[in-house]
Amino acid sequence: MLTVVPVLPDYPYTLHTLDNGLRVVVSEDHLAPVAAVNVWYDVGSRHESPGRTGFAHLFEHLMFQGSTHVGRNDHFGLISAAGGTLNGTTWCDRTNYYETVPAHHLETALWLEADRMGGLLDALDQQNLDNQREVVKNEKRQTRDNQPYGAWLDLVHTHAWPKGHPYQHSTIGSMADLDAASLEDARGFYSTWYGPDNAVLSIVGDVDTDATLAAVRRYFGGIPAKGAYPPSPPSDLPARIGEEVRLTVPDRVPVPRVFVAYRCPPFGTPEFDALELAAIVLGGGRGCRLYKSLVLDRGLLQAPDGDVTSTWPFVAGATVFIADLPAREGADIGELEAAYHEIAEGLADGVTEAEMERARAVHTSMWLHHLATVDGRADTFSQLTTLFGDPGLVNALLPRQLAVTAGDVAKVAREYLRPDNRVVLVFEPAENAEEAA
Amino acid sequence: MSGLVADRPTPGPPRPWSFPKFERREVAGGRVITCHLPGKPLAVISLVADAGAVTEPAGKEGVAEIVVRALSEGAGPYDAYGFAVAGERLGATWRSHTDWDSLRCGFEVPVGDLVGAAELLAAAVREPHLDEPSLLRVRDERVDEIRLDQSQPGPRAGAAFGSAVWAAGCRYAVPDGGTAETVAALPPDDIRAFHVGGLQPDAVTLIVVGDLDTVDTDAAARAVFAGWIGGRAGTATTVPPEPRVEGRRVVVVDRPGSVQSMLYAGHDGPNRRTPDYVPMTTMALVLGGMFNSRLNYRLREDKGYSYGAFGAFDTRRDAGVFLARSAVQTEVTAPALADAVAEIRTMHDGGATAAELEQARSYRAGVFPINFAGPGAVAAGLADLVVHDLPDDHYDRLRQEVLDVDLDAVNAAAATRLRPDDLVAVVVGDASAVVDELRETGLGPVEVLTDEG
Repeated sequence: MLTVVPVLPDYPYTLHTLDNGLRVVVSEDHLAPVAAVNVWYDVGSRHESPGRTGFAHLFEHLMFQGSTHVGRNDHFGLISAAGGTLNGTTWCDRTNYYETVPAHHLETALWLEADRMGGLLDALDQQNLDNQREVVKNEKRQTRDNQPYGAWLDLVHTHAWPKGHPYQHSTIGSMADLDAASLEDARGFYSTWYGPDNAVLSIVGDVDTDATLAAVRRYFGGIPAKGAYPPSPPSDLPARIGEEVRLTVPDRVPVPRVFVAYRCPPFGTPEFDALELAAIVLGGGRGCRLYKSLVLDRGLLQAPDGDVTSTWPFVAGATVFIADLPAREGADIGELEAAYHEIAEGLADGVTEAEMERARAVHTSMWLHHLATVDGRADTFSQLTTLFGDPGLVNALLPRQLAVTAGDVAKVAREYLRPDNRVVLVFEPAENAEEAA
Repeated sequence: MSGLVADRPTPGPPRPWSFPKFERREVAGGRVITCHLPGKPLAVISLVADAGAVTEPAGKEGVAEIVVRALSEGAGPYDAYGFAVAGERLGATWRSHTDWDSLRCGFEVPVGDLVGAAELLAAAVREPHLDEPSLLRVRDERVDEIRLDQSQPGPRAGAAFGSAVWAAGCRYAVPDGGTAETVAALPPDDIRAFHVGGLQPDAVTLIVVGDLDTVDTDAAARAVFAGWIGGRAGTATTVPPEPRVEGRRVVVVDRPGSVQSMLYAGHDGPNRRTPDYVPMTTMALVLGGMFNSRLNYRLREDKGYSYGAFGAFDTRRDAGVFLARSAVQTEVTAPALADAVAEIRTMHDGGATAAELEQARSYRAGVFPINFAGPGAVAAGLADLVVHDLPDDHYDRLRQEVLDVDLDAVNAAAATRLRPDDLVAVVVGDASAVVDELRETGLGPVEVLTDEG
């Protein structure tokens, strides 16, 4: 069977900067009569102040509660009535807002985004804040506190980064901090971070570039630049943790499960590219090393699709490489963990060219899949422009990552997938999870 | 802020859209559907079989899912690992799936390797080894997975809801993927028998979607069907679905210490081919299918009880369910459930408003091109046509019916398809904290189950 070299992405785009600093990426795609609008603000939970964890995300909710010319329920109402979909997300490095609409409704989406970029404070009130605070607390309960193993994410943040580092707390924040958030905090956060010169707007789909830029100028051009934003909080830290951090977590769970997190160089570095490929060689897909050994040969690990490892695309100082290892029922958790470490550390001894070919093919398909829809592409244009100032990375990132060699993978494995650089969380079934958790 | 534009823009004229053109044909005796989507370099090649959960024999619930997983665990010249590597070196991602009415498997693959992926798919469905060690491993892994899944409140509520709504003995009373008990009890011979009965050349359809300009789809189809001598397709003898008759009641699955309660409330409903499918499902959008729907507005945006609340009909081939669901903080379990039931009753009694209908109609008609944006979604849509025996122009016709549906029809569906007096409610949460208040809601007798999970 011949392997055909897949077609690499070659998406057209233009980048313009308005006088107020708003960067605008437009990419035409006329395959279907739809348009995706995506705004990234360069603010996330990494920019939160002490005692106000979870605030960037709570604030994202307030952005759906109306603005100068938009009523409280109109953001969802108008986009729904247009036949579109919408949402927003917050993570450590970003807050993003997006709509996908039938293309003839493009300007409705632009108008809505502009109105809340420039006029949120006219609609922000205590009632909205109180209501969305409860919604967010229920989001935290639903996704963390009432889920088996739900504490793992917070524990990775707490232990993979040193105290005081901006990634040391998770995006959802703490209940106490959410309770303490005031209307004054919300106004201050908006005034500090939300402005055209701290945002990237991407539009992908069945649009005309010139007409779209004219519309963008019409709706966004009158929003004044803020001119200055606080410097990013300091994020320098040692390249490695320096020791193994180990926690045992009793929880109401059906089987033991180990999470391993390694500190590693951030997204944007050659080392991170190599770690992306290492993640596939080690724990991505059913042709990976961990699946072969721990699932097929030894029956220790639950991973029906073979997807065990992942990297987080964080840019400030250091990010993490994660392995998620739920045990098979009856398997010895100590044996599972020991076997895992042996395989993970074994990457440092070398990777075959056949493994690299598989990893490159898998990585290529994942990336093409991610870019296949207009909304996925718009989000990626916004992301790469916000983080690296270069929308062209939508096309250029993959070739760069495909150039990673077997030697590169072994080298990053040697430097980062090692005992003195890992957080190990061991979840164990407990009788009384109430007291345990 | 003076720099903002005050007036909402008026949209331009809508641009035409129709479901992508596709072609049905027969290749080497097999049924094939191909759909050319220009500019889509990742294609989907998928086989859909009439071998869903409803075709499983009594006591063998979950066998379809075991079969579809076992297909990739050694087939033709490949062992399990060899099969995985052969696909992944093509950049092909194996995807398998079972639901109530179908079994589906295949690859997402760069178009240049589509024929190669077809050869692997052929090996999987025609020549799986189904050797005993592999079958036992897949089965036992699946048992573990079900236990892990059931430890989450949503899946646990779903299982309890099914057995509360449907009479014991009918297939819908047990989750479509089976339970840990039914799956653990499956002997290898029964797994092999289901494979032989369910995957025969005259009982499957091959679907290929993507930029097919340079692809020899006949070669791909021949790879799957040529020389495939079938045995006899199994004749499914399913027990007709039959709801339980107890009427409304509340079932609490006790999880002490839960900080939220998972609420599932609903009843049985009509099947996919019900004549009022469009008015019924449009009504459900107003009730619980959009962000501004009544359930989400009440429980989330008004009360702050929840991160979200939803309601919808699940229309299967034989019958279906109406289900409203939400995860709410423990302290407000009873008032949240009462609010949800009140919204269902209000819709039943009074129907939707003209403005709500207009929003639901335009939303639903508008999202067609968004929902069918890629090969995966189009392939799934085509498989649904096969499963439910729908005409080729179904999606275009459905979109027009959505645009044409009127308030009388929607409100008639609300009055007949919602049955607030027959609601079964499942609550997965801390019984000691919620049972007394649930009794006071008057939503029927409250039964507490110990959580086995």
